[in-house]
Amino acid sequence: MTAETILSIENLKTCFYTKKGIVKAVDDISFDLLKGDVLCIVGESGSGKTVTALSIMRLVESPGKIIEGKIILDDENLLELSPEKMQDVRGNKIAMVFQDPHSALNPIFTIGDQVTEAITAHQICTKEEASTKATQLLELVGIPMSKERYHDYPHQFSGGMKQRVVIAMALACHPGVLIADEPATALDLTVQAQILDLFLELRERFEMSIIYITHDLGVVSEIADSIVVMYAGRIMEKGRSIDVLEAPMHPYTKGLISCLPSETGKIVPIPGAIPGLINPPGGCIFHPRCVNVMDICRMERPPMTKITDEHYVSCFLYGGFNV
Amino acid sequence: MNMAAYYRERIKGNKTAMIGLTFIILLILTALIGPFFTVSPTEVNFSEKNLPPIGFSSEQSIYSAQDGGLILTNMKGILNHPLGTDGMGRDLMAQLISGARVSLLVGLLATGLAIIIGAIIGVSSAYFGGITDSILMRFTDIMMTFPFLLLLILIVYMFGSSLTLIILSIGLTGWTGTARLVRSETLSLRTRDFVVASKALGASDLRIIFYHLLPNTINSIIVLSSLSIPGAILAEAALSFIGLGDPQVASWGNILNAGQNDLQTAWWIAVEPGIMLFLTVISFNILGEGLREAFDPKGDSK
Repeated sequence: MTAETILSIENLKTCFYTKKGIVKAVDDISFDLLKGDVLCIVGESGSGKTVTALSIMRLVESPGKIIEGKIILDDENLLELSPEKMQDVRGNKIAMVFQDPHSALNPIFTIGDQVTEAITAHQICTKEEASTKATQLLELVGIPMSKERYHDYPHQFSGGMKQRVVIAMALACHPGVLIADEPATALDLTVQAQILDLFLELRERFEMSIIYITHDLGVVSEIADSIVVMYAGRIMEKGRSIDVLEAPMHPYTKGLISCLPSETGKIVPIPGAIPGLINPPGGCIFHPRCVNVMDICRMERPPMTKITDEHYVSCFLYGGFNV
Repeated sequence: MNMAAYYRERIKGNKTAMIGLTFIILLILTALIGPFFTVSPTEVNFSEKNLPPIGFSSEQSIYSAQDGGLILTNMKGILNHPLGTDGMGRDLMAQLISGARVSLLVGLLATGLAIIIGAIIGVSSAYFGGITDSILMRFTDIMMTFPFLLLLILIVYMFGSSLTLIILSIGLTGWTGTARLVRSETLSLRTRDFVVASKALGASDLRIIFYHLLPNTINSIIVLSSLSIPGAILAEAALSFIGLGDPQVASWGNILNAGQNDLQTAWWIAVEPGIMLFLTVISFNILGEGLREAFDPKGDSK
């Protein structure tokens, strides 16, 4: 089985030009999303996960700017498309689900109206066709009595139900890639599990590939096919889910995993906090918190080192010295 | 329950606002159908000039051909002219009703124009931001600092006086407040998730403006409209009062202007349009205030 790459990010760099200085929110990252995969981007708050997602959608707002890189979807570099063409890609080929379902719906229109609106954004069809389709979509994402609830307003829905509506809107035009930015974080645990199941079910049904952003390694272990570990705007480690979780290489990934409550009940936190990104530490950005820090880590930025064909790590512990 | 029904319930609970609304509805009905039941507001009849309203009387010296001089008579209001007549014997009730048409027309059209311009300028200013925002807002500032009445006088002086011109000039100068308000509301709306989410699903700028941004500012726009209608009505009356109104129409300002010379002998000519202006303006104001309260989510706790 040879997996086909559907979305490829190459050397993406996104900076924010603030008054205090330039913030490299996403600093030279590359990864591939395979067709039908669920790729999880994991990292602490502020590690650049959301900016990565927004960069892919080209929705980074001023003062942020994508400096360089390529985002290749269906042999097209999204960063070279005209704004009009990009607008056509959004929703049609890539769609995005946001973190907080409570604010992701317009409070003054019925949910049916909003799903219909999302359909008519790209498809030319009559109002009736669109609203029939909207009802089907609502049914599909698991909203019971979707015909009746079609005419309800967002405030009459629970958080989990709202998130289902948001997902229905994202699916309106059958995008090939769905980016979900912590879609379950604002929901309680039982609902989280339902939403995760829904994502997996919809992936099968719509043959989608999903980029799932989260900081919850528990979620990752359940749904991820591959993992990208981000820290302070850089990729620390990436690979197939089983490799990264079972045999983490990077000290940061190891640290993250040891932060999880284990059978022994012992939680080992990573000391320190994520650095400010205006004057980031030189060399490896993780070195001030790293337990295995070496002299070279303070001087040079470690390159991506290949462990296996699918497992890469950015750490001098595994070579990558310039001789 | 949908939102319109919810707001309807809330506004119904507000007595003063309902009084204001009732008066406005009555006024609109009168202005629409009244002229079919009254005598012509321009019909001159010197034998019945300066008649007081019913229930009042006034002493007036009138010329009598019989005696060849002025004689003093006590005039009483008669049923044919329930609100009296002016110095040329024209029926004041007919004039006031025709004036109501003018005032409402000016109030609604000028405010409508101002709201549309203000909403478009405000929403584009906030949504597109950057240089667009700076240019539009500086322009708004300039318009705001312009002495409005002076500008109106200048326009009327230059282009002559017609009702259309008065409506246009009030509308074209009165949008600044709306622009500011809509801009500030849009600024907070545009970063809301549902706007970003809509963009992420490929919605165009126009779609976002007309589906997400403007509908979410509609509450403020409605309140602002009901509060700026009296402003427009007063502006027209003020222009007419200083003699720059449309001489072709019997507007309240025109009647006021005509009546000010007769205050000694026939006070009702000036007082009646004054009362109408006062009642209309205060009705719109209390209705606007009531709407503001009904739309205010913080009002729930009361």
